[in-house]
Amino acid sequence: MGADIVEGGPVDENGRDDGGHGEHGAHLAGQHVLLTGATGFLGQATLEKLLSGYPTTRVSVLIRPRGSMSGADRLRKLLRKPVFARWRERVGADEVDRIVAERVTVIEGDLSAVRDLPADVDVVIHGASTVSFDPPIDEAFDTNVTGVVTLYEALAAAGADPHVVHVSTAYVAGVRKGVVAEASLTHDVDWRAEAAAAESARAQVETASRRPEVLRKVMAEARAEHRKAGPQAVVESAEPARVDWVHKRLVDYGRTRAQSLGWPDVYTLTKALGERAAEQMWGHTGHRLSIVRPAIVESSLRYPYPGWIDGFKMADPLIIAYGRGILPEFPGLPDSVLDLIPVDFVVNAILAAAASPPPPAEPGYFHVSSGARNPLPFRGMYENVHAYFSRHPMPDSERGHIQVPSWRFPGTTQVERMLRTGERAVELAQRTLMRVPASDRTRTWMRSVHRRQQDLEVLRTYADLYQAYTQAEVIYDDSRTRALHDALPAERREVHGFDAAEIDWEHYLQEVHFPGVTASMRAFSSRPRSKGSADDALPERTDVAAVFDLEGTVVASNTVEQYVWVRLAGTPRSEWTRELTDLVRSLPRYILAERRDRGDFIRTFMRRYEGVDEAELRRLVADSVGDALLQRTMPEAIRRIREHRAAGHRTVLITGTIDVLVEPIAPLFDEVVAGRMHSRDGVWTGYLDSPPLVDEARAAWLRRYAENTGVDLSKSYAYGDSYSDRAWLELAGKPNAVNPDPALYRHAKRKHWKVQNWGQHTRGRLDALTGSVSSEVNR
Amino acid sequence: MSRPGFVLTVDERTPPLLMHEGEGFRLERLPLGTRVVYPPDSLKPLRNVDAHIQHALLNPLGSEPLPELLRPDMRLTIVFDDLSLPLPQMQTPDVRQRVIEHVLELAAANGVDDVELIAANALHRRMTPAELKRVVGERVFRSFFPERLGNHDAEDSANMVEIGTTKHGEVVELNRRAMESDLIVYVNLTTTPMSGGPKSVSVGLASYRSLRHHHNVHTLRHSRSFNDPPNSAMHHSYERMADLVGDHVKVFTVETTLNNDTFPSSTGFLNKREWEWNVADQASYLAVKRGNDLMPAKARRKVWQKTVAPYGVTGVTAGRPSDVHPVTLDNVHRQQLTEVQGQADVGIFGLPYICPYNVNSIMNPILVMSLGLGYFFNLYKNQPIVRQGGTAIFYHPVPHEFHPVHHPSYIDFFDEVLTQSTDPAVLEKKYEEQFATDPWYIQLYRKSYAYHGVHPFYMWYWGAHALEHLSEVIFVGGDRRTTTRMGFKAASTLADALEIASHTVGRSPSITYQHAPPLVVADVR
Repeated sequence: MGADIVEGGPVDENGRDDGGHGEHGAHLAGQHVLLTGATGFLGQATLEKLLSGYPTTRVSVLIRPRGSMSGADRLRKLLRKPVFARWRERVGADEVDRIVAERVTVIEGDLSAVRDLPADVDVVIHGASTVSFDPPIDEAFDTNVTGVVTLYEALAAAGADPHVVHVSTAYVAGVRKGVVAEASLTHDVDWRAEAAAAESARAQVETASRRPEVLRKVMAEARAEHRKAGPQAVVESAEPARVDWVHKRLVDYGRTRAQSLGWPDVYTLTKALGERAAEQMWGHTGHRLSIVRPAIVESSLRYPYPGWIDGFKMADPLIIAYGRGILPEFPGLPDSVLDLIPVDFVVNAILAAAASPPPPAEPGYFHVSSGARNPLPFRGMYENVHAYFSRHPMPDSERGHIQVPSWRFPGTTQVERMLRTGERAVELAQRTLMRVPASDRTRTWMRSVHRRQQDLEVLRTYADLYQAYTQAEVIYDDSRTRALHDALPAERREVHGFDAAEIDWEHYLQEVHFPGVTASMRAFSSRPRSKGSADDALPERTDVAAVFDLEGTVVASNTVEQYVWVRLAGTPRSEWTRELTDLVRSLPRYILAERRDRGDFIRTFMRRYEGVDEAELRRLVADSVGDALLQRTMPEAIRRIREHRAAGHRTVLITGTIDVLVEPIAPLFDEVVAGRMHSRDGVWTGYLDSPPLVDEARAAWLRRYAENTGVDLSKSYAYGDSYSDRAWLELAGKPNAVNPDPALYRHAKRKHWKVQNWGQHTRGRLDALTGSVSSEVNR
Repeated sequence: MSRPGFVLTVDERTPPLLMHEGEGFRLERLPLGTRVVYPPDSLKPLRNVDAHIQHALLNPLGSEPLPELLRPDMRLTIVFDDLSLPLPQMQTPDVRQRVIEHVLELAAANGVDDVELIAANALHRRMTPAELKRVVGERVFRSFFPERLGNHDAEDSANMVEIGTTKHGEVVELNRRAMESDLIVYVNLTTTPMSGGPKSVSVGLASYRSLRHHHNVHTLRHSRSFNDPPNSAMHHSYERMADLVGDHVKVFTVETTLNNDTFPSSTGFLNKREWEWNVADQASYLAVKRGNDLMPAKARRKVWQKTVAPYGVTGVTAGRPSDVHPVTLDNVHRQQLTEVQGQADVGIFGLPYICPYNVNSIMNPILVMSLGLGYFFNLYKNQPIVRQGGTAIFYHPVPHEFHPVHHPSYIDFFDEVLTQSTDPAVLEKKYEEQFATDPWYIQLYRKSYAYHGVHPFYMWYWGAHALEHLSEVIFVGGDRRTTTRMGFKAASTLADALEIASHTVGRSPSITYQHAPPLVVADVR
């Protein structure tokens, strides 16, 4: 999101030299502020405000090094973000550097290990917090509870006695109805016990995840999905599935524990327990403590410029999802209050609270919210969103604009039912599609089912997560916050005020907030869709290979079809019926074998070739069977192979089909790896000479081939059509899914592989049979 | 004596006229004043064809009777025209079968043992065994296939021989077996003035090296038309080569001509002039049209491809090629030539479902182009029916379809070459060699049933004269994508086509509709 979305008002001019006058201590003048969570949404805005609006205040920021970036690096990066753009424009880049060098100190570290804190700190603004509502339980406790403890321990260790402004959330009040006062929470949950339990949860779950019952289930699922791709693929997906299981389980631990104690989610639970820890460790031990509880923080109304926001905040994904037309209904109560508050109000309230510490041992509580005096009902929010997107619809790629739905607020039960029906339908459709034969049409269906599933997932996530917030029949009293605001000198209110009553919701939402949050989405979805079909020109080089699968990739036929050609071409017409009946009778057996394992199938099926005279077969292939194969080739594949050749690439064919049968197209390849039948005195015994080269065996072969020939696989090309080709397709730097089966299609989409749609001029099964094979018989 | 050709001028009483459009047809009401060129009525066939063949072989022109040319220790090669003639295929027995049987009987009677039969398919696809059998008949097929009956293979260098160079520097490289025979009997079928005569041996048994001297853009632009041999640079080249062949080997040619019974009795109305349709014709038009439109595309193609023509034989002439061919041409003209006064601004052609290169196959866009701008446009003597800078309107859906086995190089030509340029001279210069020498295409031509890699280029050159002559080419009912790729326009109706054409020929152009098939050659005065 660029800084130039909304033009700044006259506020900036006023804000320039304000807060500068006044004696030491008033409005933080000359004070030393320690800020945690400076890189977060609230933290950035607070830092900016301190730097631009409090010219004599020194700031220490606690920043955790990340990767190769030190805390100081991260601060430098932070200062280039849009939130600082207006200030930077106003004072100039050099001045920014000077001010930062003079007034900002970086303390490298994080809340799990706070190093020595400066002893001369006057104010601590503790804004660090988890960003997610649904983190695993141990992570949530780590940041929101244990982190708090560490901070207060470190402060105590440093011998400092600052006023701590502890940023919490209004929703710590938990699941309740009616008015919530600005006071200490009334609960008797033992935060130490909960934190300890959360800490040990991971170890328990990790242990549990290794129990055979769990692993067996994970394996079974992995096998069901990936067996076709080979045993290695199964294993490779089983372990991530276990890790995922652990994660989900810990999230469930968190949410369920929170709900059992009266909070909607682990985020609000841990924030509530964090408050209690702050009270016990700081507020009630003779120190000054202010607890600021903002409601849902959204983009700024005025400062640093209208509409500034960093990433998506809580309500924003909902807004976007609505604008994209994927929320047909939502389980919110139309009359419940959606308690939004612009970020600049929250920052101002935090800094105002910071500047007016409560007496020691008597913590102050402030709700920064709008619900009490300027409520925005959920219905009002909906009306604004609807009006906004009706006026400014989101672009729908190249198909005009998206139409937004109208909500009727049918109530939770019905929305839930609708959701569940939708999910079942999608699941069924998906399971069906995985079993039907691959075709262009099924791939179109898959795409739409996939999209529908994503939409439903979004809807499900939001419905579950935000239900508590959009159904809240709770009002956060903000009279103390208001008193804090009223205590501001009149001339400071314009720039440093935070009176929720002055928000004009229609203006704020439609003119300020929505344009801000949708800007990046608009830019994204109005990008022209890629044309997709055009293949890149092939670079000329001799150290790469182009590897092709045969069946379904180069030719549209399969082992059974080829067998039919051979048999019908080689037997008189009178015996066709017997031959075909026998084949059809055995089909179920083959299908079962194919399901089980591709290699098994080939082994079983090839037995049918028992007794075939190899010389006679060669003649048939040269005459009619080869012609049938050519009828069933995909001209695009042939062209692609020839292009690879022309570019100097080695062309390789890997197939389980018998070598004799692929002879008509063998000249296209530098290397043909095909099956070979065992023969005795020129007659086939029905056994293979060596195991069929399928799934991961092909990958192994390809790896060795690359080593022996010096081919650079990472620059090579691979073309396959089936999920069983996954292993060796993945080896190549440029994998292509050709008319993929549903499983490979899904995989290719996820991995952004090229999906080729070949075979436009390929002849039909019957044409090949009547056109070629029967001409053999006619003579 | 059948009625001569006829030029109708469309007036208020003229019924809608039949228009072929691929695997279908329609009745189209043409603008008043449009001139419609009809061929002479179908000629009466010879009654006893066998007797005529016998007579021709025993009383040849410019040669001793065939039996006198046959000796026991000789090498005899019988060469016959391939699948590309006639269109559609004729009812069996094919006249070639009858001629071959007579020749073989005479050969046997004279103790000739070393006989071989070769289809003169040049760079066309090989004929399948079934197709060979259909042309030569069961008896001949059984006795000679596969050892002594087969296709000419222009890429089998061991079995090709260069017999010399014409005074214009044209290399003549032909089938070795034929050239090293004591006698070639060429069994011909002439259905248009371009075929037969000097073309038979020197083209049908040639290689790419030899064909490139006349199958090129320059020659085709100077063949006006290639159905008028005296004015065809291509035929001049053929003649020079044929002279060389004549010096090298004895050729005894048997040329046959057919009448215009192009369609079987079930679709007999297609052979008749519309205002002469009786009730039965009108009913069968409605039934066939309806049935045809309702049929699934695949079935429809099958039905059309299975159609065989009840052609009657109108002439059998044998002897020295240069003596025989004028008689043959005269027979063709008798059947096809219609005199037309003056050129028009717009020429209309209804393109049928078949051309020489899609027998038992698919008519792809390039073949449509060559049928329209090549074969049909060139069905004239003296001058084209359209004036220089005029517009040609063709009826054909030009579907984006290709036969992957028969026309593999066409697919690549369409996708890779035509996207670069549609100018025949540019294509010839930049891409012809590459396609002609591509080992994969050569392999498919030799071992599979593919047209040679260079063949799509020849098809494109076939239209070179028309491309130069016309300023606008419009396909009524044509697929927009395929026509645009080839540099043409598509219109949904004739009215739209004339609207498009109005930019070049004005609002009230003169129009000539060449009503074919049955084929008619316009003698434009």
